[in-house]
Amino acid sequence: MEFITFEQVEREYRVGDAVIKALNGIDFHFGRGTFNVVLGQSGAGKTTLLNLLGGMDSPTAGKIVVNGHEVSGMSERELTDYRRTQIGFVFQFYNLVPNLTALENVQLAEEICPDPLNACEMLQRVGLGERMNNFPSQMSGGEQQRVSIARALAKNPQIVLCDEPTGALDSETGRKVLRLIRDVANDLGKTVIIVTHNAPIAEMAQTVLHMRDGAISQIETHEHPKDVEEIEW
Amino acid sequence: MVKGALWKKAFQDMRKSKAQFISIFVMAALAIGMLTGLDSLYRTVDTHSSNLYSATNLSDLWVTVSNPSEKDLWRIGRIAGVEQVEKRFSINAETNLPGEPTLHVYALESRSTLDQPDLQAGRFGKRSGAVLDATFAKAHGLGLGDSVSVKLNGRWLELPIEGLALSGEQIYSLKNSTTMTPDPNTYGFVVIRADALSGIYGQAVFNQISVKTAANADLSSVVRQADEAIGDRLIGIVARDDSVSASNVISLAQQFKTLSNVFPALFFLVAALITQSTMVRLVENQRSQIGLLKALGYSRRTILWHYTSYGVFVGLAGAAAGLLLGKEGFARILLPQVNLVFPDYKIYVDWGHFLAASILLLLCTGGISLYSCRRLLDDTPAVLLRGKPSKSGNHIFLERMSALWNKIKFSNKLIARNTLKNKSRIIMSTIGVMGCTGVIVAALSINDMITGISGQIYQDTFSYDHKVLVDTSKTDSRYLNNLELDGVTQQVQETAVEVICPDGRQKMEPLTITPRESPLIHLKTVDGASVSIPENGILMTRKLCETLGVQPGDSIRLKRSNQGYVTVPVVQSAYMASGQGMYMTDTYWKSLNQTFQPTALLIKWNSAPDETFLSSDTVEDFTTREEQEAGFSDNTQIMALAISLLIAMGAALAFAVLYNCGILNYSERVRDLATLRVLGFHQEEIRNLVLLENYFSVLFGLIFGVPTGWLIAQTVAVGLDKQMDLSAGISPQVVLIAGAVTLLFAWITNQAVAKKMKNLDMLEALKSVE
Repeated sequence: MEFITFEQVEREYRVGDAVIKALNGIDFHFGRGTFNVVLGQSGAGKTTLLNLLGGMDSPTAGKIVVNGHEVSGMSERELTDYRRTQIGFVFQFYNLVPNLTALENVQLAEEICPDPLNACEMLQRVGLGERMNNFPSQMSGGEQQRVSIARALAKNPQIVLCDEPTGALDSETGRKVLRLIRDVANDLGKTVIIVTHNAPIAEMAQTVLHMRDGAISQIETHEHPKDVEEIEW
Repeated sequence: MVKGALWKKAFQDMRKSKAQFISIFVMAALAIGMLTGLDSLYRTVDTHSSNLYSATNLSDLWVTVSNPSEKDLWRIGRIAGVEQVEKRFSINAETNLPGEPTLHVYALESRSTLDQPDLQAGRFGKRSGAVLDATFAKAHGLGLGDSVSVKLNGRWLELPIEGLALSGEQIYSLKNSTTMTPDPNTYGFVVIRADALSGIYGQAVFNQISVKTAANADLSSVVRQADEAIGDRLIGIVARDDSVSASNVISLAQQFKTLSNVFPALFFLVAALITQSTMVRLVENQRSQIGLLKALGYSRRTILWHYTSYGVFVGLAGAAAGLLLGKEGFARILLPQVNLVFPDYKIYVDWGHFLAASILLLLCTGGISLYSCRRLLDDTPAVLLRGKPSKSGNHIFLERMSALWNKIKFSNKLIARNTLKNKSRIIMSTIGVMGCTGVIVAALSINDMITGISGQIYQDTFSYDHKVLVDTSKTDSRYLNNLELDGVTQQVQETAVEVICPDGRQKMEPLTITPRESPLIHLKTVDGASVSIPENGILMTRKLCETLGVQPGDSIRLKRSNQGYVTVPVVQSAYMASGQGMYMTDTYWKSLNQTFQPTALLIKWNSAPDETFLSSDTVEDFTTREEQEAGFSDNTQIMALAISLLIAMGAALAFAVLYNCGILNYSERVRDLATLRVLGFHQEEIRNLVLLENYFSVLFGLIFGVPTGWLIAQTVAVGLDKQMDLSAGISPQVVLIAGAVTLLFAWITNQAVAKKMKNLDMLEALKSVE
């Protein structure tokens, strides 16, 4: 019934003889089509959580189920397919391919996904219809992040994972980007997970995971999440 | 202290880019190794032979004349430039040893100082006793105190062996036209005193005048005057460098020199290209570090030297390794294959050439490093510390063809843009592959060419089963005609005559006289059309025409034995891949008042060879065409070996360059690739993005490599050997093989890069941009 489930998920890293527990047995659920925020200071384990959810890493113990598929225990190849079909990723530093135009960066999704959305439409949707043939270096940070969002959504994934999407942007631009993520995801019925250390963003989420020292310290749910405009940071 | 820190930094930086620096090192070592190896072979052959020439006080000319008188000696002695004259006796003689090997007998006067044996053991007495060829003695198990008998003038002469020696005249010793390679089992020399011959001939006999000239003497003028001094009795004059041994030594040395001129150039070029791409990237990546160093107060000069030193170190290390590789590897492997007899096989390096090559190499590495970092240093520390402006994408010309551009896949667009953006990288890898293909094409074509020579001569031109050398004292043309052998025969007289070219040059050149029908020698033009020996004039091989500067239609003058010169027209030319000379019919020869005295009989048997005839005492020696052909390939073995070494180096070239480009292409884009991996690209899709570019370079490299290979082969063909008339042709097979081998190398290299790429960490994508 739940769309994303983490059950007793642990992740250990071995550094020489020392064992570092990055995730210490965490449990949570996110519902389909919800807008969620994972909040914590650096070192709290939120990036590890993102990696596991994004299929870039596997847990040392516990179970991760997404959309009825058990992600923990997938092979390298299955994980790649999982990333390919289920996950849209928005990076802190946009990570556009510098040698491709905005449009081509989005079209990239068309090549690898079974059921992609139209790249031009997605760019128009994020307000970049006029700048499709520009290269990333010719665009501002906010514009680049919008291309990145278009790219994530054009793959038509179930989940949009955003790693500090506003981290490199000024507050006004950041606000616009967040609104865009929420609106578009909402229209398309995507589940959004934003990982951030920026506490005010949490106010716009339906579910907020507070993380500290590799564990969830609090799960907060908002019946009526705030609008982006109402958030101060 | 401060210096120490920079040294450490340099060392660490090199370790980080070890693949690149190792490639530079390998290219440098190969470039220097190949150059030094081939060059020192040339130098070694040259030095050893010069040493032996001076150790034996070898003459510069030998004037062959029967029974030279004191007056003859006096006349030649007073020619300007002549320092010393002596007479000697020189002849091939049969021995009593098992297998009847032949010894070339040199009989010297007791007071003689020219053409001395270079004693390795024992002594050379003033009266009786003999000095035997050291390698011949070894092959036959003979030593000091043993004796050997030679048959002269029909009588046996026993020679007690008092010394063992080498000879400057027999460094590369060939018995006669039936042998192709030196073989101490069948041929050697012995030096005796002229007095020892009086028992055989009734008195001391001589047939040659040895002439030593001053170092600056005009040899051709000496030859001309000696010719005039002897007049009609002259048989011939051979200059040292035209003698069988010396000319073979020269042409061997020449082969190495030609190869050393052609092949290493590619490696220098590639060393420079790899250095350039490595250093540009290194310096770009260290932009802020350079800013920091400047901010800390390091002088421009210190920083420049710091980055230049990377190239200089690798260059110096490469030069040192190349010296070792060339001298102890290349030269050491090839030298024993050359079949030359020297007292020892010490390898001489031409230090001047090595130094020049090393300086060139340092320009290719250090110089390029300097050039790469100079540009950045003009910026102020503040600008440098701010970090590099982000790379921008560019529209490329392909996009103008929108019909095409819109059809191609995103990943191919990415490859196309990326490739065109990093032109220097693709140029580098294309040149690398071009070099690899070129070296292989050249090596295989040269090999084909050399194998082709024996085919052209021993299959297309000659069709005899046996070549039989006959005893000219017991046979003549009529005798040979009446033999009634069961087969086709052809009489030939092989000799050498003095020739005066239209430009006045005087040389001794081979002449073959044979009946016009010529059933067993099929001369052809270069296009393959059959030609026959003209009735009123001579036929000259194409290469000899070039060497002497004559063309069909010109006339040359020939020396007749016991008579003066006669002018003969060159009527026809023919193509012989190896063994240049002149051909004439027996009737024309007779019309010049000469006797046709066959020296050899060519036979094509109708059935089994007539063993009785072959073992009769009119037969001096015989050989089959197959043996000659095999001997010829033995002779060219060293080329085959050199060629395999070259192919190995071509492989190293392709590997270093492609591996480098693959790694460069990968490491420059780690972040992009990690992002694509996060987005769900499979490992092999990522691999294609990086490595497909290498296949483009392979494609272009192959296309350009074929003409490059032809150019190299042609250069080698022309410079290889003056006896050989070669031109490089490239067969489809060679292109196919070279292409396949290059592709294989490229594939192996890509596998190696792909292995490295497995370590791609997706989390790179999440890191901040530095």
